[in-house]
Amino acid sequence: MTPYSGLLFFYLLALFLIPAVVLGLMGKSLKQYGFVFSLIMLCIIFGEGGQLGWLILFYLWQGAVFLAFRRWKGKRPVLWLAMILALLPLAFVKLGEVWSVFSVFRLLGVSYMTFRGVEVLLNLHDGTVKEISLFRWSYFLLFFPSVSSGPIDRCRRFLADLEGQNSQQEYILLLRQGIRKLIGGAFSAIVLSGLIWQYWLAPLPAKGILPTLSYMYGYTLFLFFNFAGSSSMAIGTGYILGIQVPENFNQPFFSVDMKDFWARWHISLSGWLRDYVYTRFVMASLKNKRFKNPRTASYIGYILTMMTMGLWHGLAPHYLLYGAYHSALMCLNEYLDLHWKPFKKLKRQVWSQLCCVLVTFHLFAFGLLIFSGRLL
Amino acid sequence: MEQKIAEVIANLCGAGLEEIEPELALFEEGLLDSFAAIQLVMELEEAFGVSLDMASLPRESIATPAAIARLIREKLG
Repeated sequence: MTPYSGLLFFYLLALFLIPAVVLGLMGKSLKQYGFVFSLIMLCIIFGEGGQLGWLILFYLWQGAVFLAFRRWKGKRPVLWLAMILALLPLAFVKLGEVWSVFSVFRLLGVSYMTFRGVEVLLNLHDGTVKEISLFRWSYFLLFFPSVSSGPIDRCRRFLADLEGQNSQQEYILLLRQGIRKLIGGAFSAIVLSGLIWQYWLAPLPAKGILPTLSYMYGYTLFLFFNFAGSSSMAIGTGYILGIQVPENFNQPFFSVDMKDFWARWHISLSGWLRDYVYTRFVMASLKNKRFKNPRTASYIGYILTMMTMGLWHGLAPHYLLYGAYHSALMCLNEYLDLHWKPFKKLKRQVWSQLCCVLVTFHLFAFGLLIFSGRLL
Repeated sequence: MEQKIAEVIANLCGAGLEEIEPELALFEEGLLDSFAAIQLVMELEEAFGVSLDMASLPRESIATPAAIARLIREKLG
């Protein structure tokens, strides 16, 4: 069973959400039931998919790393060691996708759960999260609605929602928004993307310039409706459980440049990478004066960030190429921002802005064509 | 404090001091990007003698000059 698809899934989702709605409407806390709900749904989904054993093993591994780190945190080498250990299951699963020796490691949503686990370690190290109980950590790591396709929620934001208690009126508002997001997301991810797949992408020949061009546009729309729809359903389910999962898309087709695009597309991943890869690298580089020209740190920061983004999707060549392609685009964007004065103006004036939107759309559509693996 | 913050932002972004309104959305108006935000935080640390850990700072806390002033006040105690 795949999350957010198929009648059986939605039947089970609705069934197990009923107690949450009743509790919410009575103004009661959803914290305990939300966790139970996550466990039930994870057992059904992972059990049916034959991955429950791996999920339990993953949880125990991450739990051991978390508890050990909480006990011995403080020094930087301890953080590095904990991060390497926390990333190990993800590395095995990604290796398994390209190397048959590791193919036994399969775990749905491992990329999303691992980033949540790593974020807790970083927050504990920074002191931005002083203390987190095993229960809260477990709920954050295993929060079912966004396990399979994100968004990647933030630890502090999630914990704040968990601490807060919604009144009856506040919950009614959340419930309304949640149901709207669930229905809108289902329409987008199932109906629209399904139609695009069936009537546009599936009939296209596998080779040829024109079919590939058509595939590029079709795949871009397919992926957007599918992914944004899945995210919306996850957010909607989160709302019904009283957790305001952050948005993942904000009209990406209206982006005026690639920096703008990454602030609108898969926002939770790009924000995570911005805060924990780009910012940390650039900040350390500036403080330690690693480069003569401070902007060099920014260029290298973009390359590191975008390559990490490619690797996060997988180790297959098309994902690495996707990361390299976006590294190049972000560096070009940075260069134009710095050295081509009319660029900022062009992005603001109506007609030239339209040109920027069109160019950006084609740049990321080509990126998604690389991502699809059709070119390699 | 607000004047000093406006000066830091204006210097960094090459904008006129009169443009820096308290509720000016620095990211949305294109005055700050990820790199400029890091530079801004470093300059604020120097100007006010506070420690702001950019890597763990929510973006909203430096989204407007008014938000920056709140952050600095909070750090100064």
